[in-house]
Amino acid sequence: MRSHEGTARRYAKALFELARDAGEPEAVGRELEQVAAVYAGDARTHEVLTRPWIKPEDRRAVAAAIAQKVGARKLVQDFLGLVADRGRADHLPEIIGAYRLLVDAELGRARAQVRTAVAFTDGEKQQLATRLERALGKRIILEEQVDATLLGGFVAQVGSLILDGSLDGQLARMRQRLARG
Amino acid sequence: MTRILAIAALLLGAVPSAALANEGGGGLISLDKSIVIQMINFGLLLFILIKLLYKPLLAKMEERTQAIRKSLEEAQAARAEAERERAEHAAKLQASYAEAQAIRAAALKEAGEEQRRLLEAARAEATRLVESARGELAQDVRRARQDLRQEVADLATTVAERLIRKSLRDEDHRRIIEDAIGRVDRVS
Repeated sequence: MRSHEGTARRYAKALFELARDAGEPEAVGRELEQVAAVYAGDARTHEVLTRPWIKPEDRRAVAAAIAQKVGARKLVQDFLGLVADRGRADHLPEIIGAYRLLVDAELGRARAQVRTAVAFTDGEKQQLATRLERALGKRIILEEQVDATLLGGFVAQVGSLILDGSLDGQLARMRQRLARG
Repeated sequence: MTRILAIAALLLGAVPSAALANEGGGGLISLDKSIVIQMINFGLLLFILIKLLYKPLLAKMEERTQAIRKSLEEAQAARAEAERERAEHAAKLQASYAEAQAIRAAALKEAGEEQRRLLEAARAEATRLVESARGELAQDVRRARQDLRQEVADLATTVAERLIRKSLRDEDHRRIIEDAIGRVDRVS
């Protein structure tokens, strides 16, 4: 997985630089995600793009055709064709993640992955994003995920920063205090 | 010696008999010319006696005296030697006794030292064992306390979690989220 990340970063950086030069890094990112969702949703397509015994030019043609069908711009089509040609289609999720980070850094924003026991209301989302933006000095994009194993509250992660506002965290801290005596 | 006495007796008997035979009887000693012969005879007898009897007798006596003296000297020398040996033995015995005493004293001293050393070693070992046992006991107590605290903590949090999960309602979740969002400011 670590080698995937390194490879994915190199591909993402190349695409990002081209997209930035074209002045449309966000749009490219969205289209990339749409096409990747199609790949992931169709097992046969995924199989064709990832099997090494299928000819690289066939993989390239299939990947570009799907991107074209989704309505992705030429840059995205070429990029996905290249990725499939090189046999890196199974790296797409990591490439998309790395691309997002590059775009976010470029636009001065950060993503907050939030695990919450119950779904946030719109007001709570807005309130949390505002507070995080104020605390970190960046625009925050909340990515919410409801986790039923959480007892209550939420755990937010922004980069390497983790904010534990869950009851589970409080109970864990209480357990440590009790254990220490 | 018997032989010499016999010869002397024979001569004494023969000379007067000769004198009497010449005189034709009378007394045992006649004061006449025969006296000279008798005197010569006596002198001769005396000479023979001295030569054949007295000197050998004296020589024999001297020889015996010398033998006795020699024996006496040998006895004295033997006695002196025995005395010397006795003294030497006594000295050796004394020395041996003194040496034995010294060895005994040294052995006693060494035994005392050994006993003291063993006693000290035993005391040190006993102290070490006691300290070790005390340390292990303290460690066991600490470990038991820690285990107990951990069990209490686990039990308390498990019970708390069950109670919370059972009793939490939607408004509680909203309040918890709101409190947690309120604490985000502290990050800055």
